[in-house]
Amino acid sequence: MTGARLTVDIEKRLGPFRLAVRFEAGTEIVVLFGPSGAGKTLTLNAIAGLLTPDAGEVVFDGQALFRKHRPGPAANVPARKRGIGFVFQNYALFPHLTVAENVAFALWRRRDAQQRALALLERMRLAHLAARYPHEISGGQQQRVALARALAAEPRLLLLDEPFSAIDHAARERLQQDLRALQAELGLVVICVTHQLEDAFAIGHRLVVIRDGQVAQTGLVDDVFRQPASHQVAEIMGIRNLFRATVVDATPQGLVLDWDGLRLEAPARPATPGTTVTAYIRPEDIRILYPDRPATRPVHHNQVNGRILECRATATFRTLRAALPNGHEVEVRFAPHAYAPLTLAAGDAILLSLRREALVILQE
Amino acid sequence: MNWGPVLLSLKVTAVATAVIFVFGLALGLLLARARFPGKTLLGAVIMLPLVLPPSVVGFYLLLALGRGSPLAEWTGWQILFTWKAAAVAAAVVGLPLMVQAARAAIADVDPALENAARMLGSSEPEVFFRVTLPLARRGILAGLVLGATRALGEFGATLMIAGNIPGRTQTLPLAIYDAVQSRQYDVANRLVLLTTVLALLSLWAVQRFEAPRPPRWARQQVGSVAAPAPAQAGDRAP
Repeated sequence: MTGARLTVDIEKRLGPFRLAVRFEAGTEIVVLFGPSGAGKTLTLNAIAGLLTPDAGEVVFDGQALFRKHRPGPAANVPARKRGIGFVFQNYALFPHLTVAENVAFALWRRRDAQQRALALLERMRLAHLAARYPHEISGGQQQRVALARALAAEPRLLLLDEPFSAIDHAARERLQQDLRALQAELGLVVICVTHQLEDAFAIGHRLVVIRDGQVAQTGLVDDVFRQPASHQVAEIMGIRNLFRATVVDATPQGLVLDWDGLRLEAPARPATPGTTVTAYIRPEDIRILYPDRPATRPVHHNQVNGRILECRATATFRTLRAALPNGHEVEVRFAPHAYAPLTLAAGDAILLSLRREALVILQE
Repeated sequence: MNWGPVLLSLKVTAVATAVIFVFGLALGLLLARARFPGKTLLGAVIMLPLVLPPSVVGFYLLLALGRGSPLAEWTGWQILFTWKAAAVAAAVVGLPLMVQAARAAIADVDPALENAARMLGSSEPEVFFRVTLPLARRGILAGLVLGATRALGEFGATLMIAGNIPGRTQTLPLAIYDAVQSRQYDVANRLVLLTTVLALLSLWAVQRFEAPRPPRWARQQVGSVAAPAPAQAGDRAP
């Protein structure tokens, strides 16, 4: 991040819903992440000028695009003059215009509109579709046309609303690569709304987690995922196996937790014995132990007897739901052919290791 | 056959259609997109000529255009009992059909497309002429043809404010009335036939404009397997 170029601080009341969002962005891709209805799209529309906040400030490269009830002269630059590229959910391509005409839409007063549109299509590998209409091309292609159209007038700020929601896996990866390459090459500030964690990881430099109209946490994508600021953020991130436990002992060697009767060891961190903390362990960090073999060092701690409640399989992994002696359940995830010697059917007893090093305790 | 009433009707209808187009489009846009107090009332007032007896519409127009009315005082127009009054009557009764169709067609255009145009630097007039209007084109044309046809057939209000002066304000419907009154049935027959043919032609055009385009998959695979059953043109409200 090379210093903030975009400052967003907006408040808007819509019926019972209250949006109050503040964040900054530099020359990078910032992902607005959160469940649907959290206010991500409202935030994007407010930056674009399609929605007028009740109060706040949107400043880009030193220019106030919007300002009301904040120090400095009031401002509300109309959407068409903000010079912002916007990629809409469901693309919003003009159905009565060809692909080339769509891309050239913003350039219609310029003499070189056609050449520029074609050059842009060329670089997006879409030139062969120039004469087609939007309904004649695939969803992934429509999305790339929408991106080309948004970039045609050379904006410095690009906003994308759920750009990956309706396209298949291959098209999604391609678009993500294009987006990252274009961002770096053009030095764009990119704000992208998504509710898919994988998309946030694939393109985001930084994450702004939005919940109930407020920013719950900001940080590098990895950091937010490894260390969610709160129970709510962890839940929004889709983190499984969250639990509340009491700190029994805290020493420089580590913590001892009590999870409703189950004693667990955790990595050392500052904590006061007697307090309650929120912790989690990722499903892929729970190991299944073979009852007839000695446990190796990494899985030596936190051995728990469980009973399998359910076993599901997909092409890439298997997921178990197991009941623990303390009355709670955990989710365990592993590669399809791991633990091949074990039958792992519902009802079976298993021995689990909630790996000590993988226990994450949330700062609250 | 005396072509006078036919030519006069065409002149009256042409002027009325131009008025219907401009005002109908503006009112349709206002009712479809703007939010303001009294919008429902305005919509109802515009629709009134559809349901009021023609004599009532004619009476209001007499009040509005007659000697001593504020409008006549201010503009200095004395158009009662001229072909211009017939054009006004025709426009007023044709307008509701155009407004209704234009309003529905414009409301049908996805606002996200208009926002997309705004983000691409378009001013509001540019948004309208480059996005909204082309996408609502079919519905608007259907409404215009319907309104024009209604204008062509206007009788009652025209009689009240333009009279029935042969060669000056006697339009096609009035000429038919006169012919029947004076038992010139051969003249009446010809004029009735001509009117019916014109009305049928225009309704055919309306159905062509309003017919929903075939679904996307059918357009993509032209000439493949069986064509889908044509959708009923009446499916969509005007």
